[in-house]
Amino acid sequence: MKFTVNPASQRCPRLGRLEAFIDKPEYSLETPLVLLHTQGGQIPHVTHEVLKLITEDPQILQIPLVSMHCYHEAIRLYNGRVSEFVGNKDCLTCITVHDPSNITKQGHHMKDKVPIFTRNGKVLYDSKMYMSMIEQFKPDMYILLSDGDTNISSPNKRIAKAVESTVSLTEQCIEIHKESEVLKETFVIAPVAGGYCLKSRQKCIDLMQKNNSYIQGYLIDGLHNNGSEVEFISFAEVKPVVDLVVQNLSPNKLVAVQGCWSPLNIIKLVKSGVDLYDTSYCRILTERSAAIIFAMEPQEHSEAYEINLRQPKYAEDFQPLLRGCNCVACQGYSRGYIHHLLTVQELLGSVLIMIHNIYYMLRFFRKIRDCIKNGNLDDLEDKVATQFKLLQLDTDKDMQVVNGSVDT
Amino acid sequence: MSDPKKPLIFELVGKCTTTKARVGKMILPHGPVDTPVFMPVGTQGTLKGMLPEQLKSMGLQIMLANTYHLGTRPGIDVLRKAGGLHKFMNWDNNLLTDSGGFQMVSLLKLAEITEEGVKFQSLNEQKNEVMLTPEHSIEIQNTIGADIIMQLDDVVKTTIPDKARIEESVHRTTRWLDRCIKVHKNPQTQNIFPIVQGTLYEDLRRKSIADHVQRGVNGFAIGGLSGGESKDDFWKIVHLCTDLLPNNKPIYLMGVGFAEDLVVCCALGVDMFDCVFPTRTARFGCALLMTGQINLKKNTYANDMNPIDKDCSCNTCKKYTRAYLHGIVTDLPVACHLLTEHNVAFQLRLMRTIRENILNGTFVEFVQNFMSKIYPDKNYPSWIRDSLDAVHITLL
Ligand SMILES: [Zn+2]
Ligand SMILES: [Zn+2]
Repeated sequence: MKFTVNPASQRCPRLGRLEAFIDKPEYSLETPLVLLHTQGGQIPHVTHEVLKLITEDPQILQIPLVSMHCYHEAIRLYNGRVSEFVGNKDCLTCITVHDPSNITKQGHHMKDKVPIFTRNGKVLYDSKMYMSMIEQFKPDMYILLSDGDTNISSPNKRIAKAVESTVSLTEQCIEIHKESEVLKETFVIAPVAGGYCLKSRQKCIDLMQKNNSYIQGYLIDGLHNNGSEVEFISFAEVKPVVDLVVQNLSPNKLVAVQGCWSPLNIIKLVKSGVDLYDTSYCRILTERSAAIIFAMEPQEHSEAYEINLRQPKYAEDFQPLLRGCNCVACQGYSRGYIHHLLTVQELLGSVLIMIHNIYYMLRFFRKIRDCIKNGNLDDLEDKVATQFKLLQLDTDKDMQVVNGSVDT
Repeated sequence: MSDPKKPLIFELVGKCTTTKARVGKMILPHGPVDTPVFMPVGTQGTLKGMLPEQLKSMGLQIMLANTYHLGTRPGIDVLRKAGGLHKFMNWDNNLLTDSGGFQMVSLLKLAEITEEGVKFQSLNEQKNEVMLTPEHSIEIQNTIGADIIMQLDDVVKTTIPDKARIEESVHRTTRWLDRCIKVHKNPQTQNIFPIVQGTLYEDLRRKSIADHVQRGVNGFAIGGLSGGESKDDFWKIVHLCTDLLPNNKPIYLMGVGFAEDLVVCCALGVDMFDCVFPTRTARFGCALLMTGQINLKKNTYANDMNPIDKDCSCNTCKKYTRAYLHGIVTDLPVACHLLTEHNVAFQLRLMRTIRENILNGTFVEFVQNFMSKIYPDKNYPSWIRDSLDAVHITLL
């Protein structure tokens, strides 16, 4: 598996391509690309069967180790690839350590060990244990074990520790990777730690240089502790970090971020040169019963940025979530029906919203790539930014209604 | 269709020469239904996270929805504006709705039955008293628009021995049937089925059937069973009813859906069944097998690399091991979808197998083998032995 940058591209934004997968030579995926976030290999609310109704294009499943730890024995006996184990051998896979849609607990650090908070409690992973799992999973790509436990308010001491551990863990993992026969073709993404301290980021990159030839991509780790808060991170705060990392890496390396970044920030990250994202934002939206419907095309009329299907005003609204959308949910089901399903707590409500959100996110990334090709990504950014401002106004208004004295 | 005014055409396609089992084709306004049929229950206008697209590709021809629930939420106004439940839920195969009466009597402690209808305390905030009359039940069911609708009946628990009360319920059920038929607005697109009452009293069942068959309906339901009575009593009543009901119309046994019950009742001549069990049990990690059920939550499956059922061709069995499912059941909502798919596929496969064996003339052997797999030690329950004996099947 390899990553190539479109030679005609400038450094940022840029177009690239992931291809030459071990048993899927016909697949070729364009970047900027969004991984399908899963838990235990399942997209939340959407089975692989339903995924086929959303898209037939090749996709990469993002599978967090934390959601797979319970299979550490079974996967050994299974002796197949993780894609098949989780029920979708047509998909490619990328193993990550944490689940970007859930807040990762802070603290609990130990030398050369990373705490993973599974549903049955804390498990400490060292590089050996981690790499043994990776060898059992046989994914197409994976992120090396790291200490990503930093955010905007992390003190310098924590940042220094994170850099030190991450460098040490990645070295240990790469040593095992080099020796591994099954991982010979597997794509390695190394985490860059260092929180919001530019010096530390630089240091981390420098220390990893000696292994650069074994690393095909870098993850800008330690920007946040995952979960829904990522949506509200201000881009101005992360920009210096992203710029520094992107400028200091060899241009032929894939650059990834993780987490529920808002679509507007995704555009900004693309403009800064980030190639790889995930759909954890779709889960965050769906859990709050929201469907994204912002307009992307210049001539498209925008009704809203997102709509919340729990609101009583949708009870008798028999339009689809988004008129003109070709997803399965919008083709056959109304806002009123989805509102009903949510009201009576039926599973299909979230299924339908998630179908639309995933479909829409994939469409959004296609649009981003088209805009890069056509050189008009700024127009898309303006269009999305205007609608995002309206959402914030709406949210403020809703807050006033909630806080004010409204008789019920 | 030859008679556009008739919303139900029932053709017998084949009959078992030993038992009363039969295969039919029932043509309803939303397509054909092969009988004997099991109808899964989509209480609130949806079936446990499954998309109608998936259910159709599995070959599901009819499902059930509950009038009481739908009348409460989304309510009759929304359903009317949506153009009926088929449109609302994007399901263009057949639907059947119950009358709502059974739900009330079983869900609401305070339900009280009078000649006018079922009186109960509403679940809404005002807790005001509401009356579900036969007329109101049909009004809601006309709005929902199911292909088969049920009369409101006077439900009495089978375990109540008060014969006078049961006799009253038989007569009242027939009076309510007439009220239902009178106000039924869509006789050309919706079939109203009467419900045979009389609990475990043969003479009352006879009376109920004698009254109902005079009403010119397109099919019949047997009610007042599977409410806690003994299986030895249960099968005799089913046997009696299928003997007495006209054999050119479909017979629907309400609330029955366990595999062995389905096999026995098909042998007794029943054509339609429904039960919440196969879909409800999926949520708790239970998967159905021809030999019983397994709970995938159990640690014995943690390293089991077999599918749930190697003979099942559902997507879940094609793609997942028990070990994998063990790790996600009752934890991820998708696991419930995956088990529901298997359990619905199981029920459909069982009914298809029954139909094929009836048509091939191998139904007796099928029943014998089926039962001997469930009871390999031949310790058959008396009701299974006796009921099958009554239709000339001797277990191996
Ligand atoms: Zn859509
Ligand atoms: Zn199956």
